[in-house]
Amino acid sequence: MEFLKTIQTSKLLLSLNILLSIAYFVCVVAVFPIGNLPLFIVLVASEVFHVWQVFGFIHTVWARKRTKQFDARFQPNVAVFITVCGEPADIIESTVIAAKQMKYPNFAIYILNDGKVAHRDNWQEAEQIAQRQGVTCITRSVPGGAKAGNINHAMAQTHEPYIVVFDADHEPKKQFLKETVGYFVDEKVAFVQSPQFYKNADVNQVAGGSWEQQALFFGPLLKGKDSVNSTFMCGTNMVLRRVALEEAGGMSEQSIAEDFLTSLLIHEKKWKSVYVDKVLAEGLAPEDFLSYYKQQFRWARGSLEILFSYNPLFRRGLTFAQKIQYLSSSSYYVSGIIVLINALLPLSYFFFELKPLTINTMTLALIFLPYIFVILYTLQLTSNFTYTFRALSFSLGSATIYMKALWATITRRQNAFAVTSKTRVGGNHGKLVAPHLIYIGLVVAGVAWGVMREGWSASMLSNIAWALIYIAAFAPFIAAAFERQKEEKVEVVA
Amino acid sequence: MSLKRRLVVYVLLVLMVAFAVFFSISVFANTSLRLDEAQSLFQTNRDVAGMLNLVAQDVHVPFYHILLHFWQVLFGQDIFIARMLSLVFFVGTILMTYLLATYALGRRSVGLFAALLVTISPFMNWYGSEARMYTMLAFMTVLHVYFFVKVLRVGGTSNWIFWTLTAILGLYTHYFFLFVLVSEFVAMLIMRKKFAGQHPIRSIISYGAVAGLSLIPWLLYVYNLGFASNTQPALGVPSAGDLFDTYTQFIFGFQVPAVNTLIVSLWPVLVLLAFFALQRTRKKIPSEVMLFVLLATIPVLSAFIISVTIRPFYLSRYLIVALPALFIFIAWMLTRYRRWIARTVSVVLVLFIGLLFTIQVMSPNTPVKEDYKDAVQYLAQNAGPSDVVVLAAPFTIYPVEYYYKGTAKLTTQPIWNRFESGSVPAFDPAKLEFETKANVDSYQNAWLMLSYDQGYNKDLKDYYDQHYQKIGERKFSPGLSIYEYRIRYDEPLTVSDGI
Repeated sequence: MEFLKTIQTSKLLLSLNILLSIAYFVCVVAVFPIGNLPLFIVLVASEVFHVWQVFGFIHTVWARKRTKQFDARFQPNVAVFITVCGEPADIIESTVIAAKQMKYPNFAIYILNDGKVAHRDNWQEAEQIAQRQGVTCITRSVPGGAKAGNINHAMAQTHEPYIVVFDADHEPKKQFLKETVGYFVDEKVAFVQSPQFYKNADVNQVAGGSWEQQALFFGPLLKGKDSVNSTFMCGTNMVLRRVALEEAGGMSEQSIAEDFLTSLLIHEKKWKSVYVDKVLAEGLAPEDFLSYYKQQFRWARGSLEILFSYNPLFRRGLTFAQKIQYLSSSSYYVSGIIVLINALLPLSYFFFELKPLTINTMTLALIFLPYIFVILYTLQLTSNFTYTFRALSFSLGSATIYMKALWATITRRQNAFAVTSKTRVGGNHGKLVAPHLIYIGLVVAGVAWGVMREGWSASMLSNIAWALIYIAAFAPFIAAAFERQKEEKVEVVA
Repeated sequence: MSLKRRLVVYVLLVLMVAFAVFFSISVFANTSLRLDEAQSLFQTNRDVAGMLNLVAQDVHVPFYHILLHFWQVLFGQDIFIARMLSLVFFVGTILMTYLLATYALGRRSVGLFAALLVTISPFMNWYGSEARMYTMLAFMTVLHVYFFVKVLRVGGTSNWIFWTLTAILGLYTHYFFLFVLVSEFVAMLIMRKKFAGQHPIRSIISYGAVAGLSLIPWLLYVYNLGFASNTQPALGVPSAGDLFDTYTQFIFGFQVPAVNTLIVSLWPVLVLLAFFALQRTRKKIPSEVMLFVLLATIPVLSAFIISVTIRPFYLSRYLIVALPALFIFIAWMLTRYRRWIARTVSVVLVLFIGLLFTIQVMSPNTPVKEDYKDAVQYLAQNAGPSDVVVLAAPFTIYPVEYYYKGTAKLTTQPIWNRFESGSVPAFDPAKLEFETKANVDSYQNAWLMLSYDQGYNKDLKDYYDQHYQKIGERKFSPGLSIYEYRIRYDEPLTVSDGI
């Protein structure tokens, strides 16, 4: 697994990142002459965010050693929860079978069936599978709390001191428990997380892009977070200590990113977390654009809620490093609006001749290029060169999703927890990338307008180049939205 | 490598060399003598002691001049012959670039493409046919870096000795070779764990010290002369644009400002290209790539920073040391792309360079062109014995004198007697009237030839425009113009009048 072979980067190179990003920021804010004031203010705001992102990234991948206790002989009773909410029976059954094959002496499997409360037609299938496979099915009759509520409900029905959570599509490997439970020999460890690997990454563009985005997170980012005891739960492929979870009030039902918030609440109580950088379970990435869109929206919404309602900076009990890490992760989704700002700057020049800075484009290049080259190199080096252009495209293209989530968070709009579909959802998803298509149209019109106004000036050319970069970056994202569904069996959304 | 493949490589290299030789002999060698070349000829057409004295005044090191001196002794004094020496080093650079890139990065395709880029580079072709030390400097750089990679890979005293010898030759070719050593030292610090042999840092310091100390006799000689001449053009503080222009000149040659603007303004695209190059492929990134990145950037950035902060000496031709490394890096970077992308980019790049190469050759507006040949021919045809030709800047007398066979007197303004030791006198506005009158008053017509503006050409022209009747003007190349003024209206005395 290449994404897990992260490379320890020299502190000199990491420091250079900080130095260059600060130098660039200082030049933008204090050295270069200001052009249009409102645009300048907006630009400075976006640069503040960029510096913060760089700092957060460097803080994450900064080489540190953390000693973790592990004892393979530690084999307490474990409850294996497989959360289900109307997924196809064959997928659930495969996961149950895989779970049963885990090599570990003391565990019981529970299917946590939420299909009934979610009014799924196939909710009884989970019970039939449980019967067939000789495992327990806990079916909720009273709704509430979505996935977190499902887990909390099951916790009340069970007694094992350790709990494993798998999503319905995440099939554990035989050694899952042997590789994870041993960390609980340290009595302060509250949970152990392993990567959320997508085995269907090669199926199509959406699954591929989705996985490649994940790879960066489960590679250098979570490994770095682990080094400062800041690993957070990712909803599946995780083992929890019941006592710690209960101390934090159970899985939090206050947020649609229940795993993220619960992790924060657990860390506040001075518990430890562990990240095991081995693929111990394999799941399914969303295979259609609508499912991807919904998944990203849910993650963004949940994270932004934490930023606004549980701001890690002001939480007591977290260490400084944990505050940085939680803030860094939750604020990532603010990047939507930053991408929008940066993408709109060329348009402001094309149509209105407005520039945030009145600076020779080559002077800007002199400061910007070393900064961006070093960051790109560091990003790729730390991730073992696994961060792909498609991953970048999906990150930048998702800006519209993140903005929608930001708006929903600010306006406190209610959004229901939606399980990511495990089958392809057919239909035309082109409307989801309408903003990107409009952007391309505006660029074309803007270039025509600008060239008529001033010809092929240096500023025009540089702005065209920037706009082209955004278009190139959006292209795989747009293509994924229009990707033809090759399989016949698709669930069509009305 | 199979015999067939080896044969293909040899054929390709021969074709590259043939291309370079053909263009050098058929196109570039027939262009006008340039100012710098005239200085080279002026300096080397005398005995070794006299030559060293002049070279020392001209802020250069003497290896190239010594070679050129004996080259001319062997083959002749003509500028065409002198230019052939640069062609030899140009060809040597092509072949050494292939060897270096192939050896360092382990791929013949990288070596071939890097060599191809060197071959078709309008910049290299320009200096491949200029009687100056620049292609020799490029050659010394690749030769020296080759031994640096040898040291990196296998270590050994013999390789260190070759490294030291080539360093000494490089330092005696041009002072800017020092930046190559600095780049290698930084590479050594970064890659110290990759080096073969023990104590690589200690070795580079000691062998580097030997190379550095070898320059001391020359520096003492220059110091003992007690002066440095003012024959080199006055240089301004470089801008960020100049820095990027250096790289675009390396790749695309000398283009008119509009084309240059087009190229450099598209710099944001570099971000995208860099990202693609840094994506995972089956091929590992060789650690030597770092060396080429450093060699392509440190000399340029160092010269830029020093020129901005201490003293301007930034000239893209001095930085030719960075050119082979840049081309090797580009050739390697293309191997990181998917095959179809790499092929497309390669073809587009080569075609684009070819187009701009043609423009550089054909366009009369190519910025570096110095058409002294036509200008002087024009003077020879039109200026008579009762006329005077006034040259500014004074040191442009070298190329003019080389071609001029006319009857008018040649003089300079500011007035400069180059046969007396000392530098070109600085322009003094208070002496403008006096010197102008001294130069032109006893002649029928004055031909003011302005080139290599040292900051006072406009003052001169304004003065002439205000005090004399301008009766003609002509531009020969960018920055090289001749203005004709009528000084006297009475017929000049001739010998027959006197009788």
